[in-house]
Amino acid sequence: MTAPSMSAPHWLSAAEAGRAFAAKTLSPVELLTALLARIETLDPKLNAFIRLDADAAMQAARQAEAEIAAGRGRGPLHGVPVGIKDIIDVVGLPTTAHSKILVNNIAKADAVVIQKLRQAGAVIMGKLSTHEFAIGGPSFDLPFPPARNPWNPDHHPGGSSSGSGSGVAAGLFPLALGTDTGGSVRNPASACGIVGLKPTYGLVSRRGVFPLSFTLDHVGPLARTVADNALLLDAIAGHDPGDPGSAATQTRQFGRLLDRGVRGLRIGFVRHFHERDVPAHPEVAAALEDVARVLQAEGADVRTVTLPTLTEFAGINRVILCSEAWSIHAPWLRERPGDYGQLARRRLLPGAFMTAGDYVGAQRRRAELIAAVEDQLREYDVLLCASSMDPASRLDEPEETARTYPRQARTPFNVTGHPAVAMMAGLAQNGLPVSVQFVGRYFDDATVLRVAAAYEKATGWHKKKPPIG
Amino acid sequence: MDPIIAALARAAGLDKALADFPDDVKAAAEQALNNAGVVQVPIDPAAEPWPPMRAGIGL
Repeated sequence: MTAPSMSAPHWLSAAEAGRAFAAKTLSPVELLTALLARIETLDPKLNAFIRLDADAAMQAARQAEAEIAAGRGRGPLHGVPVGIKDIIDVVGLPTTAHSKILVNNIAKADAVVIQKLRQAGAVIMGKLSTHEFAIGGPSFDLPFPPARNPWNPDHHPGGSSSGSGSGVAAGLFPLALGTDTGGSVRNPASACGIVGLKPTYGLVSRRGVFPLSFTLDHVGPLARTVADNALLLDAIAGHDPGDPGSAATQTRQFGRLLDRGVRGLRIGFVRHFHERDVPAHPEVAAALEDVARVLQAEGADVRTVTLPTLTEFAGINRVILCSEAWSIHAPWLRERPGDYGQLARRRLLPGAFMTAGDYVGAQRRRAELIAAVEDQLREYDVLLCASSMDPASRLDEPEETARTYPRQARTPFNVTGHPAVAMMAGLAQNGLPVSVQFVGRYFDDATVLRVAAAYEKATGWHKKKPPIG
Repeated sequence: MDPIIAALARAAGLDKALADFPDDVKAAAEQALNNAGVVQVPIDPAAEPWPPMRAGIGL
């Protein structure tokens, strides 16, 4: 483990950078310059970026610097760099989805989340690696190489928001946007030892984001601290009448409870996910027990609860995801099957063999699973459970990646739409992060982040940095 | 290749995939069968799917 200098600009949190800008001890241009130098050194090893847009980022940083100097600050993200998963449209840049299919697909407009980031004065750094179409990866048969894990570049950084997780953890940028259809924000957060939130379904607009599965897709923030995650969520949340799934809520200030601790909260521990349904790696299981002990010691009332099995949640997620994705990809799968990588092709083709009855049946059972989770969340403020059941696999062992990739407890909350955050819960003996997940009530993302912040403060895992320089 | 899988693939317009990537088509068909098989569809005929219809919203 390296002992990084916490004052180095690349390890500043977004909140710290914003305060430094206000105090004039650091400028947006100075921060961006430091990050660009770090990217030049490290990204050839990590492949977090598909396309770095350094010129536009510098122009935005200069504008932010001038506005802040003139007393026209726009808020805590003004001048703060953000990386963008390459299925989210940034006007004038290709949205490739890491695929040959869309390699020349130039975005004609910003996605709504990008519009909101620009309004907040954030600096858009460029487009980040993903699994192909947010489903097919990690793959070596695509136009761009897969991202790598900064804790050990021989290992997978999780996906599908791979570059988002890798780049945030490596200090290439303090914040990133990812998307999450079966766990794709929370998986890289788990693998890379950072904080990834899948917000409540409908809280963040998906307009301008290439869809994978309409009723499961979410856009979510990744950051190195819980407070930063809340800041990014504040910037991107909000009702969008142009997104049919968008909720008419004005919920804001997601960090308002971060200092409240967990005393008096009731937390339901879903042990069967990692004990019976998909038995976890022993170091992951031990870390989860430790999380429960920490929260209990901090004053929470932690009790074991039962939900439907992971097997059923996963089956429903796959039927819905494959059916909806087929309706998007069918024309290309018919005419250009060879332009997909093999993993994406294999993961998208099952939709061709699912019936309308399979899809509707899954959506009907989904309503019952939602009711089962809602029953527990009437009794408990937050649920605690596993995220990944294993530390990240090696990239050069596709069989091990195929074995471990579905061993996770994230898909239930795509099926139900509840807010869920994954974060670091320790380091395995091989030096790779292990993780935990907290889940909350609809539109109570603030309480999910409150529990995450209390755990972060009690353990300090966020201070550990990958040994990458 | 199972002739039923091949017929279903052709019906879905996957002739090219069937010709060039038969193993992928076969694996996909098997996965679809396995996934659909684990879903416990409600026996209550009135159990409606999620998401519920929301008239006039998002249109």
